[in-house]
Amino acid sequence: MSTYNQGTDEHRWAMVVDIDKCTGCGACITACYAENNIPVVGEEEIHKGRHMGWVRIERYWEGEYPNVRARFLPIMCQQCGQAPCEPVCPVFATYHSATEHINVQVYNRCVGTRFCANNCPYITRVFNWFDPVFPEPLQEQLNPDVTVRSRGIMEKCTFCIQRIRRVEEDAKAAGRPIEDGEVQPACVQACPTEALVFGDLNDPNSKVARLAESRRAFKLLEDLGTEPAVIYLKGGDAHVV
Amino acid sequence: MSKQGITRRQFLQGTALAGAAAVISGCTLSLQKKEYLEPYVDMPEFALPGESVWYATTCRECPAACGIIVRVHQGRAKKVEGNAMHPVNEGKTCARGQAALQALYNPDRLRAPVAQSARGSRQFTSIDWNEALNTLYQLISETDPARIAFFGGDVPDHVLWILETFFAAIGAPPPVIYSTHAAWEGKRALRLVNKSLFGVDRLPVYDLAHADVVFSFSGGFLSTELSPVHYNLAFGRMRGRQDTGGPRGVVVHFEPRLSQTAAPADRWIPIRPGTEGLVALALGRILLDEGWARNTAAAPFFAGVDAKELAEVTDVEYERLRHLAQLFGQAQAPLAIPGSAAAAHRGGYQAVMAVQMLNILMDNLGKPGGLWLAPDTRIDGLTPKTEPASLADVRDLVERMRSGQVDLLLLDGSNPAYGLPPEVGFVDAVANVGKVISFSSFVDETSVWADYILPGHTPLESWGYQVVDNGTDRLVISAQQPVVRPYYDTRDVADVFLFLAQALEPARAQLPWLNVVDFLKSRMEVIRNLGIPGSFALDNVEEAWAYWLGNGGWRSKEPLWSAPVLKRELSQAFNLAPEFEGGTEYPFILYPYESPTLTDGRGANRPWLQELPDPMTTAMWRTWVELNPETAYLLGVQRDDVVKVISPYGEVEAIVYIYPAIHPHVVAMPLGQGHTDYGRYAQGRGANPVQLLGGREVDVVKDLAWLSVRVKIVPTGRRQRLPRLENNAGVDRAREVGFPG
Repeated sequence: MSTYNQGTDEHRWAMVVDIDKCTGCGACITACYAENNIPVVGEEEIHKGRHMGWVRIERYWEGEYPNVRARFLPIMCQQCGQAPCEPVCPVFATYHSATEHINVQVYNRCVGTRFCANNCPYITRVFNWFDPVFPEPLQEQLNPDVTVRSRGIMEKCTFCIQRIRRVEEDAKAAGRPIEDGEVQPACVQACPTEALVFGDLNDPNSKVARLAESRRAFKLLEDLGTEPAVIYLKGGDAHVV
Repeated sequence: MSKQGITRRQFLQGTALAGAAAVISGCTLSLQKKEYLEPYVDMPEFALPGESVWYATTCRECPAACGIIVRVHQGRAKKVEGNAMHPVNEGKTCARGQAALQALYNPDRLRAPVAQSARGSRQFTSIDWNEALNTLYQLISETDPARIAFFGGDVPDHVLWILETFFAAIGAPPPVIYSTHAAWEGKRALRLVNKSLFGVDRLPVYDLAHADVVFSFSGGFLSTELSPVHYNLAFGRMRGRQDTGGPRGVVVHFEPRLSQTAAPADRWIPIRPGTEGLVALALGRILLDEGWARNTAAAPFFAGVDAKELAEVTDVEYERLRHLAQLFGQAQAPLAIPGSAAAAHRGGYQAVMAVQMLNILMDNLGKPGGLWLAPDTRIDGLTPKTEPASLADVRDLVERMRSGQVDLLLLDGSNPAYGLPPEVGFVDAVANVGKVISFSSFVDETSVWADYILPGHTPLESWGYQVVDNGTDRLVISAQQPVVRPYYDTRDVADVFLFLAQALEPARAQLPWLNVVDFLKSRMEVIRNLGIPGSFALDNVEEAWAYWLGNGGWRSKEPLWSAPVLKRELSQAFNLAPEFEGGTEYPFILYPYESPTLTDGRGANRPWLQELPDPMTTAMWRTWVELNPETAYLLGVQRDDVVKVISPYGEVEAIVYIYPAIHPHVVAMPLGQGHTDYGRYAQGRGANPVQLLGGREVDVVKDLAWLSVRVKIVPTGRRQRLPRLENNAGVDRAREVGFPG
């Protein structure tokens, strides 16, 4: 039931990923690096599977030459309603936020057990194996709204909670409801094909709520019962010889 | 030119005067070191503790000129965001645009002007700007103007206009402007084809958003070419129509390799390299024969074409071509888009023309979802008259340099030593040039041959504008302003030349402005005189200036693109076929492509872009060579083997990537790596496939024919893991089809 019109603060923030529009360009990834102070780890760490991106674009090959197709699937934290990462955290560093309905990671509680990453079926959590390095003066690019995580800390996509909070506070101060499209995580803001859409599922008129009703809608690993807040719209299939 | 009229003393006095004027006008051009005591409690303007401000400017990571808004916090640029009011990108950005911050805060930037003890020695000593400018002034005033040369690349319009005016005034040859990126996107061929067919020297604009069947011929319009953010936006809208009850746009992509632009297409059709024009010819023939063509004005072009014969040559079966022609011919809004690789071989000019002929056949010129011509961007007082140079023009300059006819070479915005094939001989020719001065922000492969580097500001610290030459229906004059104060002791190139003009009598009359801000303000009147209703009134300069900065430039209210009109009788197509150098000992065709992340190599010093996975291979940090699984099997190489790629012109090493979607006779390599200079993130990793190219030119276009060499692959016996996001199981199609892994 929608609580949006009842004047509460409750939101069900959600993202729609239209894979029929995704061109794999990577604007979301770099925008996320910039917004969230994600460190670059270098070639050696990449070999160990330690790329720190909070969103990745998986590329799937379908078919054999010459009848090959490639499909892109951007994957970020699915902000599960029933999140497998949450119950395994011994220190409540990862927990469910009651007002935003997203999974929150409290960096200064995290002790680095990595249980959460182990339990995430979407493999969207990344771990700081080292302190991040920003050679002078690259530290100037750092976003002051977002903590720079240190060694031993788990992190993941936050739906740019700093941006959500800012809009929430601005709206509250102005005594008005949040408008649809007012909150834009960095990836959604950058996405040049508008494949990414963000909004409040509790608002029945929001763009995400309408797209979630699409016949193309599905969720990743839906059968696990994780209740993701990321809704995918499947790619169209025009039959062309 | 008046050389006696000014002494060194007078010149220095001029320096001081200009400096004082600059300080008064609040500009960054402070030519004298002055120090002010700032009261402790005074904050710089607009810098409130804890509050961010956003400045509208223009992205210069590629020439598309997207509007961006940069978040600035306590005087530091934090985030590049799209300008929603800008007609090119409507608030969107690409990964490369985001990384503009890492040019500004790059740890390997030059922090002050430097002199190099011997060219190529990398032994630099810092000099101060007075010395730098005096040196530049002396060199320019004492050199025979005819023996001065300026070589530039993607230089913004305002700098180019100033340079052009400056060099004309002192009697020097006009600047030679050659962008390697433009060569990789086939811009010149597109312009010249439009000139020939429609009589206007402008770029095409494709109304992708409203097309329903799109045939794309080896293009990268979704990755690096023309106006990629704009076309991504249009692509999204084309697909988005299905959510509002409209038809979902269908894309068919013809290319020897399944590129990033091919990936979101509904169908990728592998063709032999360089046969895009032939495919278009065959399709056109079928459209005419079956009566699907809607305008037969282009029919003579297809005279004598045998579609069945072409099916053999292109590797696309005739039946399939027929089905495709039917799909195209019966679409409501069909659109054909010629891409860069179509234009990149000897017959590229005619090949691009053949693809545009499909648009003429389907009568989509100037219609929704069809082919349009960009607004006229030739504006007196705003855009330069100098034509972008062809490779042939570059060769002329290189020949002048080599034969000792150039005493002073000025370089800005280009990296020819890295981006041009060695066969062109740029580096060798530099040795015979008297003095070389670069305005590069970095020590790159070209500026390392300079005697002096007078670093310009990075784009986020610069003033200026760019007149958008393609991608939108409006006339857009996109404004650039510094979002932060210059971080280092660098200086705007435009300011440097305006300053020199003050001291050089013949140029002063033409360039009377003391600094670039004065110059830009004076352009408000030029825009007003266009008499075009625009986004804001231009009657009052100061008011217009405020809008100019706030909106990120000026744009026409109404669409100013125009419908192409066929201006001449057509004759039969000829010479469309590609030609490849290298005999039978070179069994593969080399298919180099601009990296979607690093483009032509300019992005290689941005760590975000180095660690951004390539969309198709998910690889980072290195150079790979893509082989069809069958080809790899026949060569006996596996994933992560290091091989030598050898062409008649050179050899490079690359890591094998088994690519399931590439023609078996083709090996593909991304550009971007293989830097020997350009900072810690760029240098010493991967290889530069440009080293494999000869200097062949496209017929008529006279630009680099980068799809014209054959190569052989020789295993080295070494292995090196290619850094990538994807795990090995995901990479190896070879293993799945039973090849040893």
